[in-house]
Amino acid sequence: MSIHTRRGHDGKTLIIKIDGRFDFSTHQAFRDAYEHGGTDIQSYIVDLSQATYLDSSALGMLLLLRDYAGGDDASIAIENCNSDVRKILTISNFEQLFIIR
Amino acid sequence: MVDIPHLDEEALAELRDVMEDEFSLLIETYLTDSKERIERLKEAMMKGDSDAFTKAAHSFKGSCINIGATRLGELCQKAETAGRNGDLNQGSPVVDEISTEFQRVIEAFDTLMVRDVG
Amino acid sequence: MDAPATEPDAGIAAGSGPLRVLIADDSDSDRLILKTLLTRLGHHVLDAANGHEAVALFHSGQPDIVLLDALMPAMDGMEAAREIKRCAGERMVPLIFITSLSAAEDLARCLEAGGDGFLSKPYNRVMIEAKINAFNRMRLMHQTLSDQRDLMHERNRKLLEEQHVARRVFDNVAHTGCLDAPNIRYHASPLSIFSGDVLFASPRPAGGMLVFAGDFTGHGLPAAMGAMPVAETFYGMAGKGFDGADILREINQKLVHILPKDMFCCGMMVEADFELGQLNVWNGGLPDAWLVRSSVVLFRLSSRHLPLGILSTDQFSVEMETIRTLPGDKLLLMTDGVLECSNEAGELFAERGVRHAIEGLSSGLHPFDALMSEIRRFTGRQKFRDDLTLCCLEMFYQEGLAALPEGTVPSSLAGPAEWNCVYEIRECTLEKFNPLPLLLHICMEVPGLRRKSGEIYTLLSELYNNALEHGVLELPSEWKYTSEGFCQYYSERAKRLSGVSDHYIRFSFHHEPMHWGGRLRIICEDSGQGFDFQNHPALQSMEMEQSGPRYAGRGLILLKRLADSIRFHNQGSRVEISYDWYF
Repeated sequence: MSIHTRRGHDGKTLIIKIDGRFDFSTHQAFRDAYEHGGTDIQSYIVDLSQATYLDSSALGMLLLLRDYAGGDDASIAIENCNSDVRKILTISNFEQLFIIR
Repeated sequence: MVDIPHLDEEALAELRDVMEDEFSLLIETYLTDSKERIERLKEAMMKGDSDAFTKAAHSFKGSCINIGATRLGELCQKAETAGRNGDLNQGSPVVDEISTEFQRVIEAFDTLMVRDVG
Repeated sequence: MDAPATEPDAGIAAGSGPLRVLIADDSDSDRLILKTLLTRLGHHVLDAANGHEAVALFHSGQPDIVLLDALMPAMDGMEAAREIKRCAGERMVPLIFITSLSAAEDLARCLEAGGDGFLSKPYNRVMIEAKINAFNRMRLMHQTLSDQRDLMHERNRKLLEEQHVARRVFDNVAHTGCLDAPNIRYHASPLSIFSGDVLFASPRPAGGMLVFAGDFTGHGLPAAMGAMPVAETFYGMAGKGFDGADILREINQKLVHILPKDMFCCGMMVEADFELGQLNVWNGGLPDAWLVRSSVVLFRLSSRHLPLGILSTDQFSVEMETIRTLPGDKLLLMTDGVLECSNEAGELFAERGVRHAIEGLSSGLHPFDALMSEIRRFTGRQKFRDDLTLCCLEMFYQEGLAALPEGTVPSSLAGPAEWNCVYEIRECTLEKFNPLPLLLHICMEVPGLRRKSGEIYTLLSELYNNALEHGVLELPSEWKYTSEGFCQYYSERAKRLSGVSDHYIRFSFHHEPMHWGGRLRIICEDSGQGFDFQNHPALQSMEMEQSGPRYAGRGLILLKRLADSIRFHNQGSRVEISYDWYF
């Protein structure tokens, strides 16, 4: 597991990329990633293209990010999920809270 | 073997340092013990019991090395090897050598203790 | 402090104090040297001249470290070593062979006999000290590890004990409800609550059942903590006649309030109406529930909502899916644990496994049994997960009332005896509010009625639903009895509810004491027009003509059976009933 962050081309988007398992062991690193993202960040992209697995505590972490980013006003996209990960997001109906693409 | 001393002075100095007042008791103990071991060696040889012979030689070797009777230790090693090979015939002259060397050791200790007391 | 009498000591590892060292050597002089060396280092020495003595001293002296000559008369070092290691058991007592052996196989024999290391002759003070210290460190490390292990065992034992106590407390709140009813089969590990799974079932006051399955994120106490209020809310509200939607709304609100942001509860609420043959299902984040008829999967009820505890009340949707059922239909609901069972190859059971179990069902085998045995077969020697919850609810035909047990007989002295009450709901409140729990609550203040809560609830709900659906919304009841009409009925109901205007439903209660007990009169009036019962196709029966137009079928039968008298006015837009209770 590892987490990398970078800014998008617009400079205002924080892209958080997760490699490997996205589960409880990622908790602190994921939190650090968005909390140290900078105060001028307006939107977030969680790139799951290299994530192999996602469990319910990862869903919890996404909720924490959403809360951090302003709750209902948050702009968060979850990108490039594989089919297993996509399915977990779908069962939980997380598309109601996040842009999933 | 001639160049190996009867007693290792350096080792003895260290022992004396460790034992302090009990140094002479240690020497006495060693000498009494050794007489018994030589008897045991002879007995085993007479009986042709190579296993007992080997063990006795091995054990005797250990205490000789510890006390600094280096040459006697070497002879015990020789006896042990002979016993291990089951060749007690070869053991016989070694036991004689051991007896002779033991007398030298007793003399050397006597000299040492006299020198000490003096 | 008993400091060593000799040197104030560099030789003893910090904090360990003097050691008890057992030495065994058949050579008196060697033993004397070693004993003196160790004593000078500050240790306490027990000395033996052969193996037998060594073993005996080991028993009586409890040494920390043992130094053994490999070859000794009367039980040699090897044999003594084996015996000593056997006696030491789990205790780590370093055992060092003193030897002038040098052949590899001899040394190997020493290690096999339990030796931890070697010390060779001639003795070297520095070497002995270093060895003793090194082995003592090993001993202490082992001691620390085994102390920690013992502590962990003890903590774990305590934790399990506490979990059992917590489980008992939890059981008092979250009892199994009616999970033991003949139409329910379930599997839930006794401690599954600590893995976040909950399963509740409750009969409804007017018949039918509510079942709730939930799966909290996280494990252990936090998961169990969230389950408590869910249980309390579920059973409390279900018993008072609230419907699944109300209970879901309440549970969601509570969880949003009490859970940390990253915790939530995937859940499923099932409302079973056995009389109508109808299931209402709400699924927020749990795997599909499967409706099985014979061995055919009729429906899969997928998650359509976010889990509970995430959305605020105004965003939270309690919309349920409604399906018609026949007696014998079975609904299988499960938590993630079922799909995540794995076999020895690490493959997941998944939906494929569920489908395989159900579709391979031989006649006569219950799908619950089929699924459980398929899971067991699949997981094989792997142990079953503890967070696997599976429940099967079977539909059956039940007419009218549920066989709710009557509560304990309360004192007839307490509570109100003579009272009147009028309660009217109007306009958009008709769409948004279910007044039945409140009305039931008012009646339940009378102890004599409390024992009859099921009957009272049935009366109230029949009156209310009739007034709402046929009076206010003018829905033709016969729709409900054909499969095509069924869907139309419910979609039309929702549509018309949202457009209600100039309407009301009014309940008037009057209760008076009687010498045999008491009498409750209920008048239910609505603002509807009633309708032309002369041309109504279902009006051919005698009862219909006596009663008025809108009480077709079961509603009428129920009311007539439960009430002592019933009268209809204004084409059914005003209904009066009288209900007697006895001491």
